[in-house]
Amino acid sequence: MSQASDEEDLTRKQRREQARAQRKAAEEAAAGDAARRKRLAQLGGALAVVVVAIVVILIATGGGGKGKVAAPTSPQAQSQVAAVTSLLAGTTQKGNVLGSPTAPVTLQYFGDLECPICREFTLGALPAIIQKWVKTGKLKIEYRSLETATREPETFRTQQVAALAAGKQDKAWDFIELFYHEQGEEDSGYVTESFLQGLAQQVPGLNLAKWTTDRGDQALLAQIATDTQEANNNNFTGTPSFLIGKTGGTLKKYEYSSLTDPSGFDEAIEAALKS
Amino acid sequence: MSARTLRITLIVLSVIGVALAGYLTYIHYTGIEPPCSIKGNPCSQVQKSIYSELAGIPVALMGLIGYIAILATLLAPEVERSRLATAVIALGGFGFSMYLTYREIFTLKKICEWCVGSATLMTIIMLLSVWRFLRGSGAEPPAAAPPSSAGAEQTKPLATAS
Repeated sequence: MSQASDEEDLTRKQRREQARAQRKAAEEAAAGDAARRKRLAQLGGALAVVVVAIVVILIATGGGGKGKVAAPTSPQAQSQVAAVTSLLAGTTQKGNVLGSPTAPVTLQYFGDLECPICREFTLGALPAIIQKWVKTGKLKIEYRSLETATREPETFRTQQVAALAAGKQDKAWDFIELFYHEQGEEDSGYVTESFLQGLAQQVPGLNLAKWTTDRGDQALLAQIATDTQEANNNNFTGTPSFLIGKTGGTLKKYEYSSLTDPSGFDEAIEAALKS
Repeated sequence: MSARTLRITLIVLSVIGVALAGYLTYIHYTGIEPPCSIKGNPCSQVQKSIYSELAGIPVALMGLIGYIAILATLLAPEVERSRLATAVIALGGFGFSMYLTYREIFTLKKICEWCVGSATLMTIIMLLSVWRFLRGSGAEPPAAAPPSSAGAEQTKPLATAS
């Protein structure tokens, strides 16, 4: 009888310990869950802040969607026209060449009109180069075509020919400058016939009927093919790429250090003048 | 993976990140051409583009500061807060790397292998540091500590931790 009572007590004790252990395990599990939830909430908060920051940066640096498409008749476009007209005032143009035909130094600029890095150069270092060297008759710049950013070769040929056709009226650089100023987001399909027509309408004094006819000139397509061949000969795979040297002499590759600071170009032009 | 191994792995990755971002910062300020195995040196074009700076600050320098900050949190005594700090900074670095990769692929259409290397490194650091934070102090389950002491948890120094 006494032995049975001991066994009963032991069992009770074991049950109590078992229950205590279960309670402890449950408390530990609950505490663990709470800690995990807290950590997940902290990381979730941090993630939300990161996402908001990235969206803000994307918007501040030019958006992430389809991007801007030039509206040729808008007041904004009119201000671009004024800026380009002012930049090119006092310069000479002939075909794809900006500057005096007798300028002692030649800079060849290989570009793709849809290339955003070319836009960076055209709106960055180029105005100062035009001001300092082209307008003083020391430099002429030849715009040459190399497809890089434009996805469709047909679109590339169409847009580059449109610029060269304006060159038949010695207004290629107006067209080129306006194109870069009003360039849209890559692959957004903004280069349409109406876009090109709109740009042409903005070029001061451009005879639209003649421009339209000249766009069918096969010689302009041949010129683009020549430019591409020349770029390949120089192992150019990116735009902008440059060749520089004395006019009439052998031009050498110019590896730029900055597209917004003209000082590197200044040094290369000075070196070519002295050579 | 033990807490110590995880921490050492993260320290090694952060040191590599500091070296990588430090080199890119040096290249940015000196203007020299970065070596690049891709024809046409797209690395140079990416690093000279307008997206190489944000509000006038080189993104390479931002990366360098980020990696140094991550390294600092890893060298600090390992507590809940330091693990959280590592994970939060790494998340920020990962998000910024994704933004830069987006600019490379969709805006510039150029791939810079140095940038891809840094983005990959930051992604690995982010994944490991988030895992490290979520699993708590490592060997023991997070429930072992009373909830009130979570923010003041101390573990052994790195040299003797197991």
